[in-house]
Amino acid sequence: MRAHYIGWKDLRIRLRDRNTLVLMLLLPVALTAIIGFAFGGDSGISTVEFLVAGTEEDDLISQAAAGLGSGSEMFQAEPATESAAREAVAAGEKPAAVILPEDLTETVIEGRRAEVVVLSDPASRIKSGIVRELAERFVARLNAGSILSRGVFETLAEERGLSEAEQRRLGGFLFGWARDALEEPRLTVEQRQAERQEIDVRAYFAPSFAVMFLLFTMLTSAKTIHEEREAGTYSRLMTAPVARTTFVGGKLLGSYLLASIQILLLVLLSSLLFGIRWGSSPIAVVAMSLATAAGASSLALLIASLTRTSRQTDNVGTAFVLIMSLLGGSMWPIEQAPEGFRSAARFTFNYWAHSGFKELVFNDAGLAGIWQELVVILGMSAVAFVLAATLLVRR
Amino acid sequence: MAREPVILVRDLVKRFDSMTAVDHVSFEVERGEIFGLLGPNGAGKTTTISVLSCLTPPTSGEARVCGMDVTKDSLGARSRIGVVPQEVALYPSLSARENLAFWGRMYGVPERELRERIDGILETVQLASRASDRIDTFSGGMKRRVNIAAGLLHRPDVLFLDEPTVGIDPQTRRNILELVLSLNADGLTVLYTTHYLEEAEFLCQRIGIMDEGRMIAVGTRRELTESIGATQVIRVVADGLDADAATWFKDSPDIDEASVIEGKISIHARVGANLLPTVVSRLSSSGASIHSVEVDDPNLESVFLHLTGKSLRENDQ
Ligand SMILES: Nc1ncnc2c1ncn2[C@@H]1O[C@H](COP(=O)(O)OP(=O)(O)OP(=O)(O)O)[C@@H](O)[C@H]1O
Ligand SMILES: [Mg+2]
Repeated sequence: MRAHYIGWKDLRIRLRDRNTLVLMLLLPVALTAIIGFAFGGDSGISTVEFLVAGTEEDDLISQAAAGLGSGSEMFQAEPATESAAREAVAAGEKPAAVILPEDLTETVIEGRRAEVVVLSDPASRIKSGIVRELAERFVARLNAGSILSRGVFETLAEERGLSEAEQRRLGGFLFGWARDALEEPRLTVEQRQAERQEIDVRAYFAPSFAVMFLLFTMLTSAKTIHEEREAGTYSRLMTAPVARTTFVGGKLLGSYLLASIQILLLVLLSSLLFGIRWGSSPIAVVAMSLATAAGASSLALLIASLTRTSRQTDNVGTAFVLIMSLLGGSMWPIEQAPEGFRSAARFTFNYWAHSGFKELVFNDAGLAGIWQELVVILGMSAVAFVLAATLLVRR
Repeated sequence: MAREPVILVRDLVKRFDSMTAVDHVSFEVERGEIFGLLGPNGAGKTTTISVLSCLTPPTSGEARVCGMDVTKDSLGARSRIGVVPQEVALYPSLSARENLAFWGRMYGVPERELRERIDGILETVQLASRASDRIDTFSGGMKRRVNIAAGLLHRPDVLFLDEPTVGIDPQTRRNILELVLSLNADGLTVLYTTHYLEEAEFLCQRIGIMDEGRMIAVGTRRELTESIGATQVIRVVADGLDADAATWFKDSPDIDEASVIEGKISIHARVGANLLPTVVSRLSSSGASIHSVEVDDPNLESVFLHLTGKSLRENDQ
């Protein structure tokens, strides 16, 4: 068997080709970086600053501001006059301002209708949206307090026939209670996202793009089967004492070597450039990478074996990779898709490859945690390879 | 046991669907020979070579190389032949040396001999100084030479060269023809296809003329021309020639044919060179002043014309 010479020759030609290198490494890394920037990678949304204005005394406004921010460090509300607040938002200095109604406290106690206005800067939709939500929660709290206090006040006044002095004392108590409510709600819903350890979009997309571009690289590699026919080197090989199975074996070997180099380099580059941690088990990452390389190279070989020219391999292959990448979630977070879609995704190679890598990146699953993915991917590779080899050797 | 010819083709037929590319062709090539397959485009030369190099199975008939049947012992036959395809078949982004190493390995050249053989062959094709350069930086002629070299590394018993000089400059063409001659001088058997009759005449000891899939004549150049009774041609360019001159030559018993066109007389005779003194003195005494005289040997063009009724040259380009 001289297959390894053919594989080695192919690998050498590929690695010498600048376009292949761009496709292999530069594009996926660049795309991951761009996605990182676009979704604010590290910046995320750290703090939301806004202004609170009203006609109450300053300390009451401050209390309301603190209440609006619900004590979280993420929200920084400052008191301001209404005109200053309007100017700041208009000038784009603050994403939003909350304007409280006149006589806020009395309004609450007496249960009158009033409006809380949120001024927002259309340029920062996400932050002003957050402020709006804070204001709504605040209003809901006040409403609850207002209804409660009126109910208490009226019931006591009617049933007990409270004296003037008692009524005043009760009013004073409720007033104090309402002020407290402004500042800090007694009953709060604590928002605690499950293990929210700052999801880096790059950690999500690095494996996705790696798998997608692995498939693209493998197409350029597999289509050399046709390119060699077109260039006459295949005929020349067939006039040498070389069996067709040797040729097909060499092609697969060359593709597989290239795929392994690409995926391992992408894992390495993304951890060096973006600080992505691929879990604590090097064996698991390498196993996952080598299995993925086997899958991608045999799938591409299958596409080449089903087409007749290098152009066809390109066209059919590109369509196939794009569809699998969309369906399998190489281009968007498929976790957000409806259940039906996700079950369809399970038929794609991309889905299982991502799934394995994500288990490693986000859950540090180790070899034991990804055995299912490994089995599925290696199964797909074996089926694709047997089909491809049969078709190619028969031809 | 009588020595079997290096190539033996008997009643070979190759059909593609309804099209018969090779039609009951037979010929033999002896060891040490340069055998030419001469024919116009579509004659079936490449198809014949494809069958002999095991690229395509024959429809019927027999084809043997070095005693091995191309269908029954394809791998054995393939290890004994060197094939130089019509188009350059090399990897452009690999260097000359890398290409040769690859093809050498494909032919099973032992690893320890590989380097030495590559150096030797690069010397032979005069490209030793460009060994490490990528093929895509080579000129057309250099690529052709590497293309030939790739078919020689495993020291084949017979080399198939399929129109190796198509579309290249005269200088490179000379180069390649001389290379083939020197390889042959070292004992290599060569099957050479071409549609240039000059090449066939220059190189080949024996020639098979093909047309439309059939082998219409096989033999040495002399056998071929004599078989059709072809003649030498004396051409004289002179002032003051008239139609009477042609008439006089036509009446002469040794001369088959004579004609005057635009101050040039062409005389066809089986023993042309011997007639030269007579022709010159006759023309001089008739008052013509002679500018030049040349004698053309009978050529394969005349043979082809005689056998097919068409000119080989019509198919040039
Ligand atoms: N694979 C094929 N399928 C169908 N027809 C073919 C095939 N190969 C060759 N032919 C036909 O067989 C005939 C002989 O072709 P071939 O290539 O052997 O000619 P050739 O003598 O080498 O011509 P050239 O000088 O142009 O190279 C042509 O008519 C050609 O069209
Ligand atoms: Mg040809």
